[in-house]
Amino acid sequence: MSLPYSFKLAVSSMLHEKWINMLSVLTIAAGLLFTAIIAVTIYNVDMLTKKLPDRFSVMVFLKENLPQEELNNIIAIVKKDNSVENVRYIPKDDALKELKATLKNTEYVLEGLGENPLPDSIEIKLKSDAVSPDTVKQLTTVMKDLKGIDEIEYGEKFLSSIYSLRLGVKTAGFVFAAIMISGMIFVCYSTIKLLFYRKVQEIETYKLLGATKGFIRAPFIIEGAAMGLAGGILSLVGILLLYYSVILKLSLTIPLLKALFFPINLSFILPLTGLFLGILGAHIAIGRIRY
Amino acid sequence: MIDFKDVSKHYDNHTALRKITISVSKGEMVFITGPSGSGKTTLLKLIYLSEKLDEGHITVSERELENLKDSEIPLLRRNIGVVFQDFKLLNNRNVFENIALALRIRGEDDRELKSRVFDALKIVNLRHKADSYPQALSGGEQQRVAIARAIVTEPPIILADEPTGNVDPDTAAGIIKTFKDINARGSTILIASHNRELFRNTGRRVFKLENGNLAGEELG
Repeated sequence: MSLPYSFKLAVSSMLHEKWINMLSVLTIAAGLLFTAIIAVTIYNVDMLTKKLPDRFSVMVFLKENLPQEELNNIIAIVKKDNSVENVRYIPKDDALKELKATLKNTEYVLEGLGENPLPDSIEIKLKSDAVSPDTVKQLTTVMKDLKGIDEIEYGEKFLSSIYSLRLGVKTAGFVFAAIMISGMIFVCYSTIKLLFYRKVQEIETYKLLGATKGFIRAPFIIEGAAMGLAGGILSLVGILLLYYSVILKLSLTIPLLKALFFPINLSFILPLTGLFLGILGAHIAIGRIRY
Repeated sequence: MIDFKDVSKHYDNHTALRKITISVSKGEMVFITGPSGSGKTTLLKLIYLSEKLDEGHITVSERELENLKDSEIPLLRRNIGVVFQDFKLLNNRNVFENIALALRIRGEDDRELKSRVFDALKIVNLRHKADSYPQALSGGEQQRVAIARAIVTEPPIILADEPTGNVDPDTAAGIIKTFKDINARGSTILIASHNRELFRNTGRRVFKLENGNLAGEELG
């Protein structure tokens, strides 16, 4: 198989059928751009929720005047749990100090309290990968039955909503991406199929002159690859323009947008995805060659 | 070189070839004749596997065609130069590229390719038409381009289906002379033609087909 000749045939076909090729490139670029927007959204939701475990903790408020033996027992049981990273005992005096430090200039709200109203407590930090509504619920269920525990607090609703949001965005994103990717493969498939049908006579002559299947396939695969790659590069240009000229400008008036990150990996993922989809579409379009 | 043993080919509602047994030796030049629809083209197509036989055995260059794997078909075809009845020239390529295609398919490099294409064009006397496109050529010229494409790879076997169908008697004689010259270099040649003038006094074997049957063998 002569690869330079296959490239020559592919380039000649691309120039000869420039309009249909251009239309396919634009369709692939639009599809990849939408997919990339979804990917950026998922990436950002993921980044935000990934930071959550570091700040997340379960506060266990203890009954008053708990004997040291019972306290040690609670700490020992909690530490045994595989999802627990560390356990910190906070005596009520320390808790008051922390509260005072937090309130700083508005310390007057605590005036007139007299006795320290805060209870002794335990702060439980979970391992990053273990922070999920299920594991926290499991841990707190075990603790609720322990003697000496008054109340457990961990922002159950907040944790569940964040994780539901994360799961929802991811699922919707993957479904959307799957539909878009199937659509893009179909665009490559139908374009190459059309070009293949237009050249049926030519291909028949190739076969009769002794061409291998590789010789016949190569120009179409190259054309599909070029189409996909061009679509991928164009979509990258599109998303960069969108990010730098729209999102960054808008973030001056909507500060929340400043928190959006651009995943740099997209710079090579988008062209490579386009390339792969183009090759796959062309491969399916040519199908099995029979002599 | 080419052996047919009890070969039959059937289509939906008729039999194109019935129990044909012929043998062509290496370096021979033979003719196959008969009226239209007698099975000449089918016989040639069976050799380069454009059609598959239904019964019998065919051996080409020691390859048993009924046992040939799909991947071996291109290799078989590269050993056979075919002048198709409808030429099968590509209208979007010029004469040079049409002939060069046979070499490109074999992976020949460009330098070698150029001299071989011009040699083939010289043999069919069409060097001056290298840049022309098939539509701009007469039927006879197109036929000669098809011959040049068949001989450019110097294959051991050449099959020609009505190679003088579109040319005047003088050009026809020239084409037959070209085939004789190629045959003299060692290629085995099978020419299918209904034109009896073509092989008269050639001294070559002529197989006569009638309604798919081998009706006889004579010397031209």
